[in-house]
Amino acid sequence: MPTIYIDGRPVEAAEDQTVMQAARAAGVEIPHFCWHPALSVPGNCRICMVEVEGKGTDIACNMPVKAGMKVFTNSDEVVAHRKAILQLTLLNHPVDCGICDKAGECTLQDYHYRYNGEPSVSVDAKVPATKFNELSDRIVLDNERCILCSRCVRFTREVSGSNGLGIEHRADHSRVQPSSDGAFRGDPYSDNVVDLCPVGALLSRRFLYRSRVWYLEPTPSVCPGCERGCTINVWHRLEDWKLKSVATKENSRIARVTPLENPAVNGPWICNKGRDLADLFERPRTTQAKVGGRPAEIDEAVAAARRLIATATRPVALVSSWGSNEELEAFARHLGGRLACFVKADHRPREGEVLEDGLLIKAGKNPNSRRARELFGDAAPSFAPGTDLVLCWGEGFDPALLPAGAKLIVIGSFFDAATDRADVLLPASTQLERDGHYTNFEGVVSAFAACFPRPAGVADAEALFGLLAGEDAT
Amino acid sequence: MRHLIPEFEAMKKRLPPGENGVLVLPCLKRIQEDRGYVADEDIDGLVEYLGVPRIQVEEVLSFYGMLRRAPIGRFHLQVCHNVSCSMHGAERLLDRLQSRLGIAPGQTTPDGRFTLSRVECLGSCGTAPVLMVNERYYELQSEPLLDVLLEELGKP
Amino acid sequence: MTGRKVLMDFEVTPTSHTLEAYLARGGYQALAKALRGMKPGEVTQEIVDSGLQGRGGAAFPAGRKWQVIDPHDGQPHYLVANADEGEPGTFKDRWVLEHSPHTLLESMLIASYALGVRHSFIYIRGEFDLPWRRVSAAIEEAYAAGYFGENILGTGFSCDIFVFRGAGAYVCGEASSLLASIEGSRGYPRNRPPRLTVKGLFQRPTVVNNVETLSNLAWIIGHGAAAFRQIGTPKSPGTRLISVSGHIARPGVYEVELGYSWAKFLHDECGGVSCDRELKAVIPGGISSQVLTGRDAKVLTPHDVETMILDHDALWQAGSSLGSGGMIVIAEGTCMVSLLRVMLRFYHHESCGQCTPCREGMGWLHRIVDRILAGKGRPEDIDLMYRISKANDGTTICGLGDAAGYATVAMLDRFRDEFDWCVEHKRSKYDGNLECRPST
Repeated sequence: MPTIYIDGRPVEAAEDQTVMQAARAAGVEIPHFCWHPALSVPGNCRICMVEVEGKGTDIACNMPVKAGMKVFTNSDEVVAHRKAILQLTLLNHPVDCGICDKAGECTLQDYHYRYNGEPSVSVDAKVPATKFNELSDRIVLDNERCILCSRCVRFTREVSGSNGLGIEHRADHSRVQPSSDGAFRGDPYSDNVVDLCPVGALLSRRFLYRSRVWYLEPTPSVCPGCERGCTINVWHRLEDWKLKSVATKENSRIARVTPLENPAVNGPWICNKGRDLADLFERPRTTQAKVGGRPAEIDEAVAAARRLIATATRPVALVSSWGSNEELEAFARHLGGRLACFVKADHRPREGEVLEDGLLIKAGKNPNSRRARELFGDAAPSFAPGTDLVLCWGEGFDPALLPAGAKLIVIGSFFDAATDRADVLLPASTQLERDGHYTNFEGVVSAFAACFPRPAGVADAEALFGLLAGEDAT
Repeated sequence: MRHLIPEFEAMKKRLPPGENGVLVLPCLKRIQEDRGYVADEDIDGLVEYLGVPRIQVEEVLSFYGMLRRAPIGRFHLQVCHNVSCSMHGAERLLDRLQSRLGIAPGQTTPDGRFTLSRVECLGSCGTAPVLMVNERYYELQSEPLLDVLLEELGKP
Repeated sequence: MTGRKVLMDFEVTPTSHTLEAYLARGGYQALAKALRGMKPGEVTQEIVDSGLQGRGGAAFPAGRKWQVIDPHDGQPHYLVANADEGEPGTFKDRWVLEHSPHTLLESMLIASYALGVRHSFIYIRGEFDLPWRRVSAAIEEAYAAGYFGENILGTGFSCDIFVFRGAGAYVCGEASSLLASIEGSRGYPRNRPPRLTVKGLFQRPTVVNNVETLSNLAWIIGHGAAAFRQIGTPKSPGTRLISVSGHIARPGVYEVELGYSWAKFLHDECGGVSCDRELKAVIPGGISSQVLTGRDAKVLTPHDVETMILDHDALWQAGSSLGSGGMIVIAEGTCMVSLLRVMLRFYHHESCGQCTPCREGMGWLHRIVDRILAGKGRPEDIDLMYRISKANDGTTICGLGDAAGYATVAMLDRFRDEFDWCVEHKRSKYDGNLECRPST
């Protein structure tokens, strides 16, 4: 463990670390655009220059640590150098922060204010480039904003493996371009380049001009898209801003989804399905309890369901693999002894969806299959002769399979064929409206938190199970 | 490009085994020599033959000044306008060629006979000014010599 | 005569480049001597002892580069001859390739033996057609004669060679960028560490040497390091091939013993400045070396007593370098602002675009000098050009940006009055003239 000195402070470093890595581990931030902990080191942005006593300046990201070395991250020369580099980085950048989605979380903007602050000293025209380069139906590239750090290019080579992006031409005409075979369009991880981009060059078309980022806040959550259970941030309006907002519909909408770095599960990445959670959660919701197809008060519907359960001779439960650990455990506790329980796959792979790959995506498209199977077994759902009641929790049940004469109770969040057919329908909250945990396929438990209020008429499933079992029935 | 594969295979004999990327540039140059430029189908064929990502081939094509994605004239006149050639009248030569051919650098005459380009140092500074016609160097050029050359190349 | 010769020691005839002619001048005897009588380490030691410095521009001791390689470490090693001669003003390697290709090949075989190289490369710039044909023909001759391939000269040593043709990128003359090009990528230079002698081509230890550097090896092994040290100066042994162009009476490639008088060389051998003009400036070693005024270089007239010698140290002390040996002679009456524009247009065109200072700085410098010449210069533009040059000093991945900065600064330092005049009067003091034509 060599000791190095960063700005006079002794820092323990590992043998194979660079000065950049050792500094970060010690909490010293050295500015960088191109360097990223999960990607190779191209050393092209040149902003991470530090001074080493007796050796002059060089880039920290490619500098191996050496015992006793004295590194200065803020010497006069380093400070002057950063200013000079920022002048150059911004030379052909349009500085159109006023209409740029990245403003507020842009590394270039932050560094400019922190390390430079000087207006441009150039009076010459900027080099024009493609403003709206449609890389895919998901991502658009503004080549003028691009500072050619190559993070996105390296991501497609080193992480996603699509080789979808490259840098073409030379000098200040160099441009990030997609491979003409459409490899980038087919990259299921493509949206990570939007987060990787240190400026506003790569933009999500979903999020384009939808919100200034300072009106948003993230809530930690877990992607339910497959049994990997990647941890994510669900971005939505700040509470404070909701009070002032005119467009109130936006208050309970997902603005965007980004990865929540998690070495145990997904590292710094997620797949595109996770970005599209709004498509899942903003489908038409069940908000009205029903009995026999007619609207009913929730208490009335619960009572009707309780009666059906109490009177059934051979009741079967189809347990949701989207239920949280807490919900699944509550279900087992309250209803597990009364009904024959099977774990149901709420979601199956959609047409065109990547089934499984070596990076993150898993074939099981439900977030909590593992915990559900631990509690209720591996057996596929089946209806023994004489089944007279099916309690269906969650999506994915085809009511055509309902045994003749059997009654159907549905606890669900979204409309489908089963909710239409239900004898009793109990609207339930989604994971965005309650706290909980999922257990991923490897047994890692991750937490999600509520970010939207439960709509009126909707109950948390966990609260229903005890009521349905009649345990506190009057 | 497929008819060139036997040639590409022959190149491998003197190369370290298992390093297919090393053939990218030699193959592209050979393809261009054969067709006059590198067409989309050549890229398709090369990507398949070498097993390299298509973007790698596209980057290479855009990076190197001599590689072309479109056909040019039968005679490619490349005038060096770097230091030593400029010191011996390269700009005058360029002006002469532009007025004789009626085209600007980067353009091709309507009959498809001549393409005019400016290029950087050709490594022939001692015999400046120099121009290249296809692969051949024409050194110690002057306006009268250019007129003779154009006549030889069939300029009416 | 410009001193003793190592490379240009034969008469060039229509057949002097062939194997037959080369053998008749004693060719491939040094190879036999090395393979039969020396261990690889002894060959390397001989090169170290010779004091041979790189001839590509940086003048790094060739032997020191080699000593990093352990020929017996069990992994493949590669040798690449850098024949991407692209530094404007430089055309001396072309002379070797066209007139003495077997000297290069024999030297490369000796180097391959010393370094444990099984596969070697010559990276030749794409525009060079005749040099490529000559080298390719020489390689076929050498293969047919058993100098390449398996079990060379019955010694058990095997080596192949491949001529790799560039495709028009100046930056590929930089060693790491050249290797990236061979690997089939854009010619992006790589950061050091690791050095190329540790991780080079295909991530294996690799030596990249300039054509002229390598071509000295056959002579050194043939005659011995001590004999080589007798030529040149103690610190810069041997000779340099110098290609002279610009406003000079007899341009061409000359072999000059290091330490030779610069004034005598320019005025006696090369015939002095053309058209009887005075010498204004000299760029000694390719445009990336700093321009010197005729006075700085002490070569104004052949009769200057205190004349400067051609030697690495002497030129460094004068604030320039022998660089690539591409000497450009500039006569009075030449517009230095226009000359700088030509240079900056070149650097802008050839910047690979990878790292920020060079990618942005080259275009910026080019636009500023264009604007000054267009009569729209501002006094602060000169300072700005200094500032951009400084931002490239030691900050880039490869030497292109640094060199362009140094070249720019030297032009501004030494011809400041011309730049100021151009800004003030909104036109070039010499009407943009770059030529030196006889007055009519």
